[in-house]
Amino acid sequence: MREERDGLKVTAYALGELGADEGAAVEAKIAASVGARREVEEIRAAAAALREAYRSMPRHELTPEQRLAVEAAAAREPGVPAPTRRFPGLLRMAASFAAAAGVAAAILAVTTPHLLRARLAAPHRAAGTPAPAGVAGYSRPQPRIATLGRKQNEPLRELGYVGGEMERDDLQRLRESSAPFNTEAYDHISDNPFVLVAQDPRSTFSVDVDTASYAIVRRFLNGGDLPPRDAVRIEELINYFPYAYPPPSDGRPFAVHMDTTTCPWKAGHRLVRIGIKGRELPPGQRPPSNLVFLLDVSGSMDEPNKLPLVKAAMRLLVNQLGRSDRVAIVVYAGSEGLALPSTPGSEKTAILSAIESLSPGGTTHGSAGIRLAYETAAGTFIDGGVNRVILATDGDFNVGVTNEGDLVRLIEEKAKSGVFLTALGFGMGNLKDSTLEKLADHGNGNYAYIDSLAEARKVFVEQAGGTLVTIAKDVKLQVEFNPRRVKAFRLIGYENRMLAHQDFNDDTKDAGDIGAGHTVTALYEIVPPGASLSVPGVDPLKYQEPARPIAGPDAGELLTLKLRYKEPDGQRSSLIEVPLADSGHAFPSAPPELRFAAAVAAFGMILRDSPHKGDADLDRVQEWARTSIGDDSGGLRAEFLQLVEKARSLAPRR
Amino acid sequence: MASTALGRLDRIRSAIDQYQGRLIAFAARITGDLESARDVVQDTFLRLCLQDLDEIADHLPAWVFRVCRNRALDVRKKEGPLEPLDDTANGSTHGVSVDPHRLLEQSDHARLALAAVAELPAAQQEVLRLRFQEELSYKEINEITHHSVGNVGFLIHTGIQRVRRQLRASGVVCQRLEGGRTDA
Repeated sequence: MREERDGLKVTAYALGELGADEGAAVEAKIAASVGARREVEEIRAAAAALREAYRSMPRHELTPEQRLAVEAAAAREPGVPAPTRRFPGLLRMAASFAAAAGVAAAILAVTTPHLLRARLAAPHRAAGTPAPAGVAGYSRPQPRIATLGRKQNEPLRELGYVGGEMERDDLQRLRESSAPFNTEAYDHISDNPFVLVAQDPRSTFSVDVDTASYAIVRRFLNGGDLPPRDAVRIEELINYFPYAYPPPSDGRPFAVHMDTTTCPWKAGHRLVRIGIKGRELPPGQRPPSNLVFLLDVSGSMDEPNKLPLVKAAMRLLVNQLGRSDRVAIVVYAGSEGLALPSTPGSEKTAILSAIESLSPGGTTHGSAGIRLAYETAAGTFIDGGVNRVILATDGDFNVGVTNEGDLVRLIEEKAKSGVFLTALGFGMGNLKDSTLEKLADHGNGNYAYIDSLAEARKVFVEQAGGTLVTIAKDVKLQVEFNPRRVKAFRLIGYENRMLAHQDFNDDTKDAGDIGAGHTVTALYEIVPPGASLSVPGVDPLKYQEPARPIAGPDAGELLTLKLRYKEPDGQRSSLIEVPLADSGHAFPSAPPELRFAAAVAAFGMILRDSPHKGDADLDRVQEWARTSIGDDSGGLRAEFLQLVEKARSLAPRR
Repeated sequence: MASTALGRLDRIRSAIDQYQGRLIAFAARITGDLESARDVVQDTFLRLCLQDLDEIADHLPAWVFRVCRNRALDVRKKEGPLEPLDDTANGSTHGVSVDPHRLLEQSDHARLALAAVAELPAAQQEVLRLRFQEELSYKEINEITHHSVGNVGFLIHTGIQRVRRQLRASGVVCQRLEGGRTDA
């Protein structure tokens, strides 16, 4: 014991940690002992060896973007706390100014209560249209309000959420401080409104298995920022999580599971959950894959979380491939080229070394690369297999030949040939989220945002089946509500997936796809007949009688779900029809899968500051999620709880 | 006012220059990957911007390492244990590989020292690094890690003893000492 204490002292002495008095005492002892002197020498030698060993570790720096953001924060006046969002109404005003240029035309053209594909109708370039006069600080052509990035914490928070009482100078400063180093683009989203069943009893939309919005939200929250509201797409948040719905047992590609409960954020309302579970492929029964990676190797990808992460993600995927699979790599930058001709998956060394030799440089020219990628895929097309172009980019298409519309048309046309598209967004600060989502939607594909190797693993390895193997395409849902049981309804999320009712039966109209094992969840908030609701009504019709509920029993049905899908290589759709009666569940006794989805939806509404969030707050979201976490094998739901906690720390007032 | 802001900017810049590399390496060992380490370090500096710099000037290194460590632990908690991108055999070095060129130039005793500490628990390795890589005092390490000063001393002592035994077993120290050098 005593020896031990002495040993500690000697070490501390040898390392110069002792004060003058203690040091002198130890020194005296050491002077008297050869062994002790030797010990001190050896300790110092060991320390020197460790120092040298540690010196060999590589040094890294912040990215220039990160550094700039810190310097921007440092240049702020000291002691001025970051303004918080005290003006939500004005925020919405500011958002609508920014969005006005892009979406106004689309809104006016819409004749149903939904924002009919407003997302697609809103031209990208409209951002250059001058904003309305008289808005201080917005007189110059502005990108959409959410064209903001991650790391300028303060400007982000301010520009995204504050309006009105700010001084002109403040706005000017914010604009200048945030404009130069971030160009992330998110299309404006307006929350789906309540629709009176008496006026329109149908709701028609396309499935969406995208999950990118969740990863983007996570990136913002982990970075210490609340996400811009238009980056929050609630259906993508909900669908990020797998739900334990039983797979189909009737030979169909998927099973439909519906349920009801009380709406936890709005007393008197009810919540309907539509859950779809795609057929699962037993491991090892994956059909052969013909994959063409289309990689953006432009200068903008030269950041640790871009090209190096792309390469790491590809290595993960390559390890999943077998002899009957094929991989090719097309790169595009200044000029496009074939970095790896189509190669069997068994030749891993060749594939891996091609991946290794990829290096960034040049400007992006996406469209020529896309053409080459599709040609390559067509050249090695596998009948009955998975034929897919996997686009990895930060989306910074420096489109020369073609505009976005042409690009979308090209991809749509190629999808018909059986080559589908997966779009993977990487990096931050330059991400063209809306472009990528659009491309994937039209390419019968899916879109994921990869922000970490863990996310790459989730997309490529754990869900490789679902990401790669499409089991049904052009999956559309149409819900008809029973006016005797439902006064009004609201689809939560899916704003950019709304379809015209007549498109439901139109097999030429493209819609979303479902991969093996995927789950898709949609929630409706329902207003029962007795409840009060303030929806702006319309005048009675002059030339027609309003529709009346049919007489006779309705078996207590709230609604009937109709679902259309095509086989992956089919041209004609099949129909599934399922009625739903209210189960009468109160929220606390509802199935956990439904409660968790409701928690995620409420989280999204809070982040979007939705007018429909009712009395949902982050505390309740946390409570609902915590009690419905289930077995959570991948830990995704636990992570969700952490994100909610994070949001709480960032937005104490919400 | 403007001059204050400018002064701050200069001080923040010099803090970035001085600490970014050390903090990123430090954070990466906790988070397991470089990207989130960069994010953590950026966040550390953003937090530094909100501080009264005069007030923390005296213990700046301990402050930045402490904040950085807490943020990195947050991230790690959230993301769960990650498999490092490329790793040495030992998981506790978390994805920060050694620079191969420098490794070639490394002397035998540095290599032996690294091997000796590689098996130690992560918490102990962290303390050793803070002492011998960052040259922080026991007291500063106590502020960063919340190990008591006595415990810091114990962890360093046993770590050093281990290195010492390893060097001795391989004869490197003897040669070195017999070569006439008595002071490291």
